[in-house]
Amino acid sequence: MRCAGSPVSLTLAPGRAVQATGEAVLSTPAAQHVSGRTPDGGIAARARGLTKAYGSGETAVLALDAVDVDIARGRFTAVMGPSGSGKSTLMHCLAGLDTVSAGQVWLGETEITGLRERELTRLRRDRIGFMFQSFNLIPTLTAAENITLPMDIAGRRPDPRWLDRVVDALGLRDRLGHRPAQLSGGQQQRVACARALASRPELIFADEPTGNLDSRAGLEVLGFLREAVDDLGQSVVMVTHDPGAAAHSDLVLFLADGRIEDELPGPTAEAVLERMKRFEVVRRPSGDGLGGQEG
Amino acid sequence: MLKATLRSFLAHKGRLALSALAVILSVAFVAGSLIFSDTVTRTFDRLFASTAADVTVQPKQDLRSARLSGTVQTLPAALRDRVATVDGVAAARAEVSVQNAFVVDRHNKSVGPTTGAPTIVTAWHVTHHSPVRITSGRAPLGPGEALLDADTADRKHVRTGDPLTVQAQPGTFRVRVVGIATFTTTNPGAALVYLDPAVAGRELLGSSAKATSVTADAAAGVSDAELERRIGAALGTRTYDVKTAAEQAKSAAATLGTFLDVIKYVMLGFAGVALLVGVFLIVNTFSMLIAQRTRELGLLRALGADRRQVRRSVLTEALLLGLVGSTLGLAAGTGLAYGLIRLMSAFGMNLKATEMVIGWGTPVAAYVVGLGVTFVAAYLPSRRAAAVSPMAALADAEVAGVGRPLTVRAIAGAVVAAAGAAALAGCAAATRTAQAASLLGAGVALTLIGTVVAGPLLVRPVIQVLGGAFPALFGPVGRMSQRNALRNPRRTGATAAALMVGLALVSGMSVASASMSASFDRQIDRTLGADFVVQNANFMPFTRQIADRVTATPGAGLVVRQRLTPVAVRLPDGRRVRTTAAGYGPGLDDVAHLTYARGGSAAALADGHLALDADWARDHRVRLGSVLPVEFPGGGRAELTVGALTDQESAEGFGTQGGIFFGLATLEKYVPDGQDSALYVNAAPGTGAADLRPRLERALTAFPQVQVRDQADYKELVHDQIAVLLYLVYALLGLAIVIAVLGVVNTLALSVVERTREIGLLRAIGLARRQLRRMIRLESVVIAVFGAVLGLALGLVWGLCMQQVLALRGLTALAIPWGTIVVVMIGSAVVGVVAALLPALRASRMNVLAAIAHE
Repeated sequence: MRCAGSPVSLTLAPGRAVQATGEAVLSTPAAQHVSGRTPDGGIAARARGLTKAYGSGETAVLALDAVDVDIARGRFTAVMGPSGSGKSTLMHCLAGLDTVSAGQVWLGETEITGLRERELTRLRRDRIGFMFQSFNLIPTLTAAENITLPMDIAGRRPDPRWLDRVVDALGLRDRLGHRPAQLSGGQQQRVACARALASRPELIFADEPTGNLDSRAGLEVLGFLREAVDDLGQSVVMVTHDPGAAAHSDLVLFLADGRIEDELPGPTAEAVLERMKRFEVVRRPSGDGLGGQEG
Repeated sequence: MLKATLRSFLAHKGRLALSALAVILSVAFVAGSLIFSDTVTRTFDRLFASTAADVTVQPKQDLRSARLSGTVQTLPAALRDRVATVDGVAAARAEVSVQNAFVVDRHNKSVGPTTGAPTIVTAWHVTHHSPVRITSGRAPLGPGEALLDADTADRKHVRTGDPLTVQAQPGTFRVRVVGIATFTTTNPGAALVYLDPAVAGRELLGSSAKATSVTADAAAGVSDAELERRIGAALGTRTYDVKTAAEQAKSAAATLGTFLDVIKYVMLGFAGVALLVGVFLIVNTFSMLIAQRTRELGLLRALGADRRQVRRSVLTEALLLGLVGSTLGLAAGTGLAYGLIRLMSAFGMNLKATEMVIGWGTPVAAYVVGLGVTFVAAYLPSRRAAAVSPMAALADAEVAGVGRPLTVRAIAGAVVAAAGAAALAGCAAATRTAQAASLLGAGVALTLIGTVVAGPLLVRPVIQVLGGAFPALFGPVGRMSQRNALRNPRRTGATAAALMVGLALVSGMSVASASMSASFDRQIDRTLGADFVVQNANFMPFTRQIADRVTATPGAGLVVRQRLTPVAVRLPDGRRVRTTAAGYGPGLDDVAHLTYARGGSAAALADGHLALDADWARDHRVRLGSVLPVEFPGGGRAELTVGALTDQESAEGFGTQGGIFFGLATLEKYVPDGQDSALYVNAAPGTGAADLRPRLERALTAFPQVQVRDQADYKELVHDQIAVLLYLVYALLGLAIVIAVLGVVNTLALSVVERTREIGLLRAIGLARRQLRRMIRLESVVIAVFGAVLGLALGLVWGLCMQQVLALRGLTALAIPWGTIVVVMIGSAVVGVVAALLPALRASRMNVLAAIAHE
């Protein structure tokens, strides 16, 4: 159900349940705080008042609570937060995978809240790249076929020079004819990374891309994402709960209880860990987290 | 463990629904056919038992199918008086009842049933056995009056006062309907015309001194059996058949039984197809459920369940499915029987559906079939489930990979298929019909089993070819659908097998029937020399007046009459063979091109001579000049000399052995009161055939039972006869396809569930719903077409072998119905599209995020 664009009346009840009242009251503690603004490269994606509620009435649970965020173009942004903080939901809403309860989302200049299913599908196909934690590849297709799949679906021919560059950068040259079952977990994630890069999307979303990998393979994948930003000029948003992974990014956004609580430019693993600890402390009194909506 | 089994059964009830449907269908056909035949048998047993007289005396019937010759066996009416004097007879009647008369209304339309049930013209006696009573008008009195049964009157819109024309053997006469008689019991579907007993013998048999039977009622205190004995003693049982009511009812029921047996066997055929195809569906369902539950089963094993418990758990689940399916199937079968009974009444057979008989055998059969089929089908999957290692619980297993290697299948399938191929080759090379037919049966069964077993091995090569153009035609969607079909060859093979079985049977039968048609065509082209054939559509005999009418038609030249009779021939090798022989009038060579090995038509048709098929003669050590004792119906016996041996492609059509024929004069001598079964007519010199035809048709307007056919029409008639067989096969195919579609739906639906995450991923990276639906549709089409290709290939081989068997009976032409094959191929693609509708819809409706997160 899509209700973006129309003013939604939400009042936050103490138990984080949402009740629709006649009044147009938006309880947005971070309303004035627009995160991740980096003016130099422009904005790849933007959200205003992004709210996502699951369920309805008394039992409704807020996963995102009027989030305002700008994702800078040509940068590597990490989204961190404890389980249930809404970080995956934020990514899904920004990527047009999930519908929003209220607020607006733009990809570049296109407002994606309000787009119909078919347009969203096309947008994901043509303008967004994805990496998931696991099960990234179609088991029946070879690595090469998986990499070009979004363009094949769109009926576009991949740019061979770019493709070569991506494949070489990820060291997949001699793995192109293999099926996913014949690849290691790290290789599979590299293929997924190549697929995300292959169509030169405006924005790449990576959802815990290292979650299922051992540390060496994880470091490799993070290195490639870093290279994609630095050398290939891509924009990447990565959701992670691993401070070490977040340290590879340019900017870390911290989510807690559906709100962006803080941000950390030029992070190190130690600094990230430090901030995270602070959240744990801050968060503890506010009771249990949100429902198990985390992806 | 039982609790876990029950939980599992209930949790998967949606996924088991289609399997249950397959069980329901098979059980329904089994139960339906049993209920129907029980009901009909009970009804007719009652009818015949209530309508038969205590004792019936009939002429001894030795040679069956007297109907073919159009004769009526009679006894002297005076016999009634002798019966009446037997001690213990309360009343005796001379009955006149014939089935060789044809009755038309004032518009020259037949009043007889169109179903093939007889028109019976009989004398009106009122006894307590009468199945009818007069509901309007009065009894017929004197010549020119008749009663008609109410069902026929309704159906043919005949009212009291309307005229009818009765074309009886002695001559045609007109009657006026003076009353309507209504059945008080079940009407078996015949049309009944009642005449005054005083005139019936003269009108129908040519003499009032003749009757067709004598019936007697027993006096009080005399049992039927005792009376039968006494009458038998008085009359002698050498010349007459004496039967009690019970015996008479039994033989009447037996006559009807052959017709009912056909229905029963058709129904059981449907049940068989449903079972055969259903097994594949159930095997597939259980295999897939077990593949999806590998981790769960591994956990059970890890927690201490042993292999036997796991196997039993799966089998219990199957038995629960069988139980539910059988119960519902039994109910559906009752409904089916009810429908059939209603359908029969539409054909004029008024069975009362309320008297439905459900014998104890019906539920037993239903449960045996239902439980048996699910048990058998689930056995292999249950063994596979038991083989799941406890490690599976721990492994981060991806669902359903390619599965175990197919080596065992390859070997078993190849061995069985090779045995089948050898049997078929043997069949093709065989020279004796019986041997060839049994080899054919074995070959068909073995090649079918071999193909089913080895089917999964054929999946890869065949689908790579079939779907080879998919990537080019449909891009990545095509590529993925092709690869999905290849993903689990075992599953694809089993799904396609359901379709394969049905199509193999049908294509085999259609090759055989097309070859039969072609052979008959060729035979008609070669042998039929007449301009026209005047004949019935069902080859039944007709009144002789038609021949007179045809001969008198201006422009008609030579008219050769054909008459058939059952005969029994004692052969030199000691065998007594019952067959049908034909008698031909003079001039046979001018209307038919017969080829003779020895002798010619003149010698064949000469008085006291006969001709028969040279091959058959050789097999039975008959030579030119042999003298054969021939028995005719009605007790006539003759010693006929073999005057000629024919060298025909086929022995005069089906059902006749030896191709025996002789002159019409010879036949008339021994079977004096027969009717003609065909007239071969040539135009007189100076008259064109085109001119003669309308004249013949005009001359025969009063005789709707015959039609004028030229060579093309005659072929058409033969084709239609063969087509009846095909319709039955097509109906079986229809059922097989319905279940095969269920199988494809089942496989796809379960595959979609299995591939939820994959579908979610595809949608996330931009596959549109439309494209996703197309992907599933294409997979479905490729599976269906794969099944069709295997089925058609198998069926063609079977058809070729069947044709070889037919060739031994003289039907040498081979025809392959390419049109049908193309239609079947296209049809199978449509089947694929239809089967994919729901699974595709379901896949495209999946929530992308939920799908990605799916475990």
